[in-house]
Amino acid sequence: MGAFLIRRIIHMAAVLVAVLVIVSLLLRLIPGDPVDAMMSGNPGMTQENMDMVRDQLGLNDPIPEQIWDYASGLLRGDLGNSLRFRAPVLPLITEKLGPTIELTGFALIIAILIALPLGMITALHRDRPADYIGSIIAVLGISVPAFLLGILFILLFAIEWRIFPPAGYGGSITDGIRAIITDGDFGPIKESFRYLFLPGLTLGITIAAYNARMIRSSMVEVLRQDYIRAARSKGLKHSTVVMRHAFRNALIPVITILGLQMGYLLSGAFVVENVFAWPGIGRFSIQALQWRDYPTIQGVVMITALMFLTINLLVDVLYAFIDPRIRFH
Amino acid sequence: MTAQTSTPDAATTFVVPASPTGWRRLLRDLRRSTKGMTGAILVGLAILAALSAPIVAPHQPTSQAVRGRFAEPFFLDSSTDYPLGGDNLGRDILSRVLYGARASLAICFLVTIVAAAVGSVLGAVAGFRGGVIDTLIMRTVDLQLSIPFILLAMIVLAVLGPGFWSVFVALALALWVNYARLVRGETLRIREMEYVLSARTIGANERRLMTKHVLPNMLHSILVLATLDMAFVIIFEASLTFLGLGIQPPTPTWGYMLSEGRNYLQESPWMTVFPGGAIILTVVGINLLGDWLRDTFDPSLRNR
Repeated sequence: MGAFLIRRIIHMAAVLVAVLVIVSLLLRLIPGDPVDAMMSGNPGMTQENMDMVRDQLGLNDPIPEQIWDYASGLLRGDLGNSLRFRAPVLPLITEKLGPTIELTGFALIIAILIALPLGMITALHRDRPADYIGSIIAVLGISVPAFLLGILFILLFAIEWRIFPPAGYGGSITDGIRAIITDGDFGPIKESFRYLFLPGLTLGITIAAYNARMIRSSMVEVLRQDYIRAARSKGLKHSTVVMRHAFRNALIPVITILGLQMGYLLSGAFVVENVFAWPGIGRFSIQALQWRDYPTIQGVVMITALMFLTINLLVDVLYAFIDPRIRFH
Repeated sequence: MTAQTSTPDAATTFVVPASPTGWRRLLRDLRRSTKGMTGAILVGLAILAALSAPIVAPHQPTSQAVRGRFAEPFFLDSSTDYPLGGDNLGRDILSRVLYGARASLAICFLVTIVAAAVGSVLGAVAGFRGGVIDTLIMRTVDLQLSIPFILLAMIVLAVLGPGFWSVFVALALALWVNYARLVRGETLRIREMEYVLSARTIGANERRLMTKHVLPNMLHSILVLATLDMAFVIIFEASLTFLGLGIQPPTPTWGYMLSEGRNYLQESPWMTVFPGGAIILTVVGINLLGDWLRDTFDPSLRNR
């Protein structure tokens, strides 16, 4: 296990270096640089002035040098300074990362809450009405674009029924929890969830449909195995067979899919954040890209890549706990 | 080599070619399946809309008329000049939905075909050759999978500037990895199977093994993945266009119609309902067709 982890971590580091180089190069291929973007509304700016700013920001250095400087900063845990805000990138990103993690985390919980029962019921009632209805719901779920679902929810819950706010952010959950602990005040956390609910539900439903289908197929596969028949013929209760024998084994492929889904989840978050004006990393990256703020975009890519790679590693480690037969090579 | 291809090759009998009878059987299966037929009809309608748009559409998709501004659809209004209503600029929504099918379907077919072709070839080469080429291709795949594909797509769109072909490149770049992984895995499995070994023994070269014996056996898997990817491409293109990063106006697209409709959600919900319905029905159709293909080609995967 130790050797496996070390090998994987070295591999991760190599991937991160390559990601950094490729993304940095790609960013510099985008027409227009940060100074052009900054000065676009400022016709009084002369060419010399702009070149001076470029010099100050180090944009006139050779590109390999720029990348090298950035990379050596990374090793010290320094993600550089945003060209737009003239401030360190890391706090800027972590500030936006909070709402995105809340959104994706909440969506994941909703997804699991919908997908587990839906997948289990359709698998256990295979080829019966419950299965057909459940499968139709799942196909509809994967076929509706997240932004469209978001718009429909706003129309229903925010405009027609006025239950939830149409857009915006209600403060972070951690602040809400702090308010409960210090003042016993449940107001802030209610407010956070009131705003979180619609975007979270939107994102959650789109992911839930995929998961329900995966859980169904995985369950159906497992229920066909000999050890299930053996467990049944031992006279075990139906619920015991389903929960202890089938469910546990059916979870293995589902966890892989969950790991891979981080990409879908984050991509969905980019879109949903835009629909609901959620102040997360997705909206922020689109802005940073328009500003050509190289260090900020590089920072976002590096942090998300690190998160992805870590999650995939965790998924592999998690296997071993669920299925003791799996050993690391 | 020419002598070789003309010799009757026992191993080819293991390959299931797309023969006329095979197609006929597939069609017969399709007619018997509610799922498959529903999917085929929905996809057929979308294709029909795209092809017939210039004939059927009552207006030009981009022509604006004051009279048509926020015109109500036929079931709310006695006039049928604008059957599905008009948008904020007085453009006919029915015409725009019909023309919008063109952009969506064109991008979905192009992206999927190119991504599947490029990914499959690279995957097959990686699996067959091994060594440095394999490492190079598969590390590229790893690399790409470690970046959220929406970020990658956004950066590519920023480099190329928004537009139809940029969306095509961004999406094809995002999707080829799936095929590379699928085909490489299958290649490693199939090339050790006895019939491939026997073909190798009787002197078939690498290229022949790959094109005649290994690739045909995964066509079904590739086709299933491609069909399901098409659904994803339509959704993703609409999302990018909705965010303003994708295909640009004046090209009528469902994604752009939705981003406009969103501003008039309360007053003119039909601006959202019809393009939204078009996307959902098309994607449901593709997904049903994909599910059916998977059931048909690979009964062991019936419940995936």
